[in-house]
Amino acid sequence: MRDMLLEMARVSFAYPDGSAGLRDCSLAIRRGSRNALIGANGSGKTTLFLHTNGLLRPSQGELRYAGQAVNYSRHGLRDLRSKVGLVFQNPDRQLFSASVREDVSFGPLNQGLSEQEAAHRVDAALNAVGMEGLAHKPVQNLSFGQKKRVCIAGVLAMAPELLVLDEPMAGLDPAMQTELLAVLERLHASGMTILLATHDIEFAYRWADDIHLMKDGACVTSFPSAELANHADILAAARLSLPPVIALQQVLTASGALPELPPIRSSEDLLAHLEQPVAKRSSAHGR
Amino acid sequence: MLIEQCVYANRWRAVTPAAKGLLALGALVAAFIVASRPAVGLLLAVLVATVPVVGAGVRAGHYARIAWPPLSFLLIGGLSMLVAVDLQQGSINLHLQSQHEVFVVVARSCGALAALLLLVTTTPLTDLIALLRRMKTPELLLDIMVLCYRVLFVFSESVHDMQTAQAARLGYADARRSLHSLGSLAANLLAQVWQRSRGLHQAALARNNDGPLRFLAPTFAQAGRHTAFAAIAALALVAASLWLRSGV
Ligand SMILES: Nc1ncnc2c1ncn2[C@@H]1O[C@H](COP(=O)(O)OP(=O)(O)OP(=O)(O)O)[C@@H](O)[C@H]1O
Ligand SMILES: [Mg+2]
Repeated sequence: MRDMLLEMARVSFAYPDGSAGLRDCSLAIRRGSRNALIGANGSGKTTLFLHTNGLLRPSQGELRYAGQAVNYSRHGLRDLRSKVGLVFQNPDRQLFSASVREDVSFGPLNQGLSEQEAAHRVDAALNAVGMEGLAHKPVQNLSFGQKKRVCIAGVLAMAPELLVLDEPMAGLDPAMQTELLAVLERLHASGMTILLATHDIEFAYRWADDIHLMKDGACVTSFPSAELANHADILAAARLSLPPVIALQQVLTASGALPELPPIRSSEDLLAHLEQPVAKRSSAHGR
Repeated sequence: MLIEQCVYANRWRAVTPAAKGLLALGALVAAFIVASRPAVGLLLAVLVATVPVVGAGVRAGHYARIAWPPLSFLLIGGLSMLVAVDLQQGSINLHLQSQHEVFVVVARSCGALAALLLLVTTTPLTDLIALLRRMKTPELLLDIMVLCYRVLFVFSESVHDMQTAQAARLGYADARRSLHSLGSLAANLLAQVWQRSRGLHQAALARNNDGPLRFLAPTFAQAGRHTAFAAIAALALVAASLWLRSGV
C-alpha cells in the first residue's frame, strides 16, 4: 500500500457569505512526492491549502494526516501546523516583522524551540533559499522575489514534513523561477513532500510526480503527470490545454524522427533527444 | 522615510542598541541638569547633535532635515512663551522677567531633542524593539509596535499604488475629482485594513502562533565593549554637566 501523508475525503466548505469554497473534494498526497495543483482563478486552490494547515475546517468530510483524522483541538492543530508548512500567495500577507531574521525566527520560536536551536534553524533556512546575505536587510527594502524567498525560509525553519506553496512562481522572473525550482529540488531530495499551486501546466508536467486538477471548488481528478496526455478532454473542460511538448513528441514519433519513447516532459529533453541521433549520424558521415 | 535611510546606512548600524540607548540616556540627563545655564545647555545640545553626524556618519543634510520640524516647533513654542498679546489693550508685551525661564526650557528641550535624535538616527526600530523586549516591556505594547511598524510600510505602499492608479486615470485632474478620489482611496484603504488584519491573524496561526509574537533577538558583536564605552561616556557627560552647573 502506498504511504499517504495527507488525505482529504469528500471535503466540502462554504465561506460565511455562502459562496462555495470546496465541493466534495477528495485528494491524496503521497509521502515524498512532488504535487502540482492546477486550476483556474477562483477554482478553490487557496481554500484547499488553508484546509491542509487547519486554518479552515471542513463543514463536511474529513482530513487525514499520516492516516489519522485531524484533531482540531488546540493541541492537535499545533501538531498539524508543525508538520504542514504553508507559504501564502502574497508575501506581504505573511511577513510580520520588518527584519528578515526576526521574521524567519517567528515559526520556530512558536514551536517552543530554544533561542539557540531557533537561531540555528533560521540560518539553515536562509541558506536553503539563498538569502543569508540579506538576513539583516529590512523587509520593506526587499524585492518581491526576495520577499517570497523569505516567506519560504520562514516556513522551512519550522522543518515541516509537507511544504505547501500557493503559487510560488507567480511574479518571479525566469531566473528567479529557476533558482526557486533548484531550492524545491533540494528540499525534495532531502525527503520533503511538496504540494504547490500553479497555473503553468508546462511546469507542472515537467516537475511534478502527481498532478491534481481543480474546477469550481471540486477536485476533478488526480493522476501521475506522465499520464497527462490521456487527460486532454478533462483539461479542455477546465479550459486548459496540453503542453505543446506532448503534441511535438507525437508528431515527431509518427514521422520517424524519434523512436518510440516514454513521455518526454520538457522541450529541453525533447531537444536533447533530437540532437542525439543527429550527432551520431553526422559523426558516422565523418568517418 | 529619511530616518529609515540614516538608520540602515550609518556606521553604528552594527553597534548594540543598548550602547546607543545608554549614551542617549546620558545625554538626556545631562541636558536636564545643565540647562539651568541655558547657554551651556545649548552648547551641549549642539555637541550631542554632532555625535551622530561625526561619529556615526549620518549625513549632515539628512540630520538637519530630520531635526528641522521638531526644532522649529520648539522655537516657535519658545517665542510664544516670551511674547504675550493682550487683546483687550491691543498691546504686545515682552515678558522680560520670565526670559530666563524660557531660555532654560528651550535649552532643555533642545538637549533632549538632540539626545533622542542620537538614538533615533542611528538605531533601526527593530533593534529598539528588541532592546525594549530585553528590558521587559509588556508584550502587548511590543506586539503593537512590531505590527504597526510593519503595516506602516505595507499601507504606505498600497496608498502609493492606489494614488498612482487613480492619477493614471485622471483621478486628480481637478479639485472636485481630487476630493472624490481621495475619498474613495480612504474608503478602499479601510476595507484593506480590515482584510489585512484578518490575513495577518491567519498567517500567525499558520506558523503556530497562539500568544505573544516572539522573535529571535539580533545579536551584536562586541556588545559588552560598546556598552561599557557608552556607559563611561554617559557618566562623563552627566558628571561634566553637574560640575558645569555648580560652577555658576
Ligand atoms: N474570504 C472569502 N469569503 C468569501 N468567499 C471567498 C473568500 N475567499 C475565497 N472565496 C471564494 O471562494 C472561491 C475559491 O477561491 P480561492 O481563493 O480558493 O481560489 P484560487 O483557486 O486560489 O484562485 P486564484 O488562482 O485566483 O488564487 C472563489 O469563488 C472565491 O470567490
Ligand atoms: Mg489563490
